[in-house]
Amino acid sequence: MNEALTLEALIEQIQSGDHNVRAAARDNAGQVGAPAIAPLAEIAADPDPGKFEIARSANRAMQNIVYHAGRPGAADEARAVSAELIQLVGAEPPLQFRRDVMWMIWQIAGAEAVEPVAALLGNPDLRDDARMCLEGLPAAEAVAALRAGLAAAPDDFKPAVAHSLRKRGVDVPDVPDLRLVPTKQTSVTPVGR
Amino acid sequence: MTDRKVRVPRRGFLKTAGAATATAFAAPYLVPSGAMAANEKLTFGHIGVGGMGGAHLRGIKSRMDRGEANIAAVCDVDERRLENASRMAGPQADVYRDYRYVIERDDIDAVVISTPDHLHAVQTVHAAECGKHVYVEKPACCTVEEGKAMIEACNRAKIAVQVGSQGRSQPEAYLSHRYLANGNIGRVTRVDCWHYPSPSGGTQRDGEPPEHVDWDLWLGPLRWRPFNPGYLHGTFRWVMESGGGQIRDRGAHVMSCAMWWMGADGTGPVTVEATGEAPRRGLWDSAVRINVTYTFKNPDWVLTWNQPGKPVPPEERTGREPGGRISRPGYGALYTGTEGTFHHWGGDGGTWAERKAREWEPGPDAEDVYRSPGHMDDWFIGIRTGKKTIMNVEAGADVAILTVLGNLAFLLGRKLQWDHSKREIVGDEQARRLMDRPERYPYVI
Repeated sequence: MNEALTLEALIEQIQSGDHNVRAAARDNAGQVGAPAIAPLAEIAADPDPGKFEIARSANRAMQNIVYHAGRPGAADEARAVSAELIQLVGAEPPLQFRRDVMWMIWQIAGAEAVEPVAALLGNPDLRDDARMCLEGLPAAEAVAALRAGLAAAPDDFKPAVAHSLRKRGVDVPDVPDLRLVPTKQTSVTPVGR
Repeated sequence: MTDRKVRVPRRGFLKTAGAATATAFAAPYLVPSGAMAANEKLTFGHIGVGGMGGAHLRGIKSRMDRGEANIAAVCDVDERRLENASRMAGPQADVYRDYRYVIERDDIDAVVISTPDHLHAVQTVHAAECGKHVYVEKPACCTVEEGKAMIEACNRAKIAVQVGSQGRSQPEAYLSHRYLANGNIGRVTRVDCWHYPSPSGGTQRDGEPPEHVDWDLWLGPLRWRPFNPGYLHGTFRWVMESGGGQIRDRGAHVMSCAMWWMGADGTGPVTVEATGEAPRRGLWDSAVRINVTYTFKNPDWVLTWNQPGKPVPPEERTGREPGGRISRPGYGALYTGTEGTFHHWGGDGGTWAERKAREWEPGPDAEDVYRSPGHMDDWFIGIRTGKKTIMNVEAGADVAILTVLGNLAFLLGRKLQWDHSKREIVGDEQARRLMDRPERYPYVI
């Protein structure tokens, strides 16, 4: 591990045109921790098509920070990282980046993430990611948010929320389970028939 | 989880799934026979018909041509592949994009699932809930919880499952197993697997999916992301979420042989630790190089996955050996015992044993081991008689879980403690969360 990696060095190296430099920064990002989340997020959310590999490196550096901060005995670091991630879900970043952030949140956050994530259950583009995030969060508040989300959900979203509640041990008898219901037709016809 | 209905298989021929305890090198899991007539044709549906799926379809088609089977349906999310499969299967086979049309049909007895790895668990569970027997490609699952759900669903439905780690069924696998079971190298204390690295790549930008591919169905349970040509076909294997690299692809073969030959089915390690290196750029994020150490207790032994490790040069062969010439020497395993060593190459459809195991002549008191008639045939026996298959759902899930734990230890950068009796990581809250992952609706277990 590069013991000397600072926040400034990480942010500089993660934007390097040399993928070997970026990879080393990405792999060592964990030690920099929560202070790197916001500046990395800015890079990861950059829509410039010419910088998509740099954005990818920054995104993966964020994930590595999540992994590192989630280690046993590092609860303070985990809370700090969670707090930084939560700042990102409700803002302006591109949809896919916000999906990525919610995927990181359930891996590390606690009850503090429930409210901002639950607020996205009403967002047609992000609601299923928000549902998955709440499903993965072990906090009891996440179950309560899913219950509230079910009550408020439009009919086409209720089965998904009900599934998450069932996974969390909640009986939801009044919402259909559509897992086994086929929906997609092919345009291919049997050859030779 | 709420209780779910399980449809009874069309032919209720399977009795209890309660298996006899498997001793270290005993024949596998004999259970009371069911009632299906040996000459009764099975009717198949094929889900995922490219790559290995195409090979399986050809195999079942050969059986159909001999009057031994029916193919009622072929299914793929890629319409080009589907059309090719329709041509191969014949006009009697209906064609589907959505696998749920296949598993809801009452006339189909069994399904062959050869989709990308991230679909194996959800499709197996759904097929089990519809009462279908399942052949599913390896690795069986992408997460610990997927594996547990597969076991629960398949046992509840009392279906025969074969996971496609067909190395166990190869002729030289039998010779290897018999050689080791008879103590020819003493008590085995280490199994060191080697494999060449996973590739780097997937450097193209995201874009629009081809018109002939249903990207939503291809993603299935995976969280939504834009299409990228680096995902398919086949190259899903190098993405951690959908594949996981060589340790999962070939690890599900080579380590499957190890678990079988060591009599370790039904057991698991107590610790897992890993080091490695991720690709330096591109979509593909599975470790290029990875070394994993699995420590087992009672009995004590160590299993390692070494990518690349130290390959054993292939031996000279005439081609007349049971497994023929060694065509894939780039992976295999070295077994170290208290009285010697043994190695093999391959471990999948090609499994090649070191000469001394092939040439060993068992004496009158030698212990024999189960000799698979072939991986598909072993599954058919399971369907017809209720005998547990050689790579049954527990064994398949447990080997896949080994590969999952190896990757997880690598990603987290720390040693994991594993309680196999509960199939749970202990002492690491984040790692425990990562035993599972939320799924995109409706492609959920």
